[in-house]
Amino acid sequence: MGSNATGASAPLSPAVESLLKFVNENLLAGSQEKVAPDTALFDEGRIDSLKILRLIAFLEVRSGKKIPDELIVMDRFRTIETIAKNFPDR
Amino acid sequence: MNILNSRAWTLPHSDFPISADGLLSPGVAETGLMNALESRFREMALAAGAEERQFPTVIAEQILERSEYFQSFPQCASAVNSPDKKGRYFLSPAVCYHCYQLLTNSALAGDTLLTCQGRCFRAESANGSHLWEFTMREVVFLGDDGFVRAQCDAWKQRIAGWAAQLGLIANLAPAADPFFVAETRGKKLLQQIKELKYELTVPGLWGTDVPVASFNLHERFFTSRFEVTLTGGEPAYSGCVAFGIERWCMALIAQHGVNEALRRVEESDDLR
Repeated sequence: MGSNATGASAPLSPAVESLLKFVNENLLAGSQEKVAPDTALFDEGRIDSLKILRLIAFLEVRSGKKIPDELIVMDRFRTIETIAKNFPDR
Repeated sequence: MNILNSRAWTLPHSDFPISADGLLSPGVAETGLMNALESRFREMALAAGAEERQFPTVIAEQILERSEYFQSFPQCASAVNSPDKKGRYFLSPAVCYHCYQLLTNSALAGDTLLTCQGRCFRAESANGSHLWEFTMREVVFLGDDGFVRAQCDAWKQRIAGWAAQLGLIANLAPAADPFFVAETRGKKLLQQIKELKYELTVPGLWGTDVPVASFNLHERFFTSRFEVTLTGGEPAYSGCVAFGIERWCMALIAQHGVNEALRRVEESDDLR
């Protein structure tokens, strides 16, 4: 778990904000735990094999581009911040 | 890697005939090299503290079902008849499934290392590097997350170092099982993103990159399905390293010839 999910003082970019909302309110809807922009997203088993597909679909719709499998690597998906940086909105 | 990719290796003057259905009948020198390789991997496993086990070549359907093998690789299993025609059996696609079955419903006494070797069968499309039947040496590690990760990392270093000592041109990199069916794309991507699988790959064999060893973290996948726990009752973690003996043999023959390859394997240091 990274820092807390609600205490960030700096304003979030729209890309981070929308991604954070999708992950916490959609992917993790049934979970008590929520993530912060810098939480290691794939620790603790919080993202399973279905959730990863839903996350990728969300990013593809948001960017209007298909994401090739070879780009789906930890360096680009470590946290919500890194995802937003690597897969910007269209 | 780019330079390596441009090189296409062939098997020079070797007796390594592979039939159209992916079955191999190696010659005398090549058999010697395979035995020497298998012997070195076994020595390394025992030196690392692994307990050696022997398992049948045939595996019961329910073990593969419990491992979700058919969901991930439905096209690869080879069915066989049992003597009494009761129950369904397959030729083992990997040796380590037997280890999880062995430990079913148990609490580990401590960090656990097992090693086993066997003939494995995967009915993938047969080509130069995809044999239907092949020999696999595996080391399986079970314990807490830290132990399993440390073992996997230690084996990566040990084997990459040994390959370098043999003069085997190879590349250690994250990988994902390429044979997952479409429905399990999520599993493949998760494996890829979490870097649960590494492969030591030899470039340019039959015009492609051929993995000769894989280093796998299973997290709690097998231990939860086979109910293997730590002493406190929480699910254990597992991982394994697997060596495809024929592929090591092919790669070394391609790069050095069979006699030189055998000399290098026999004279290499004992890596611990």
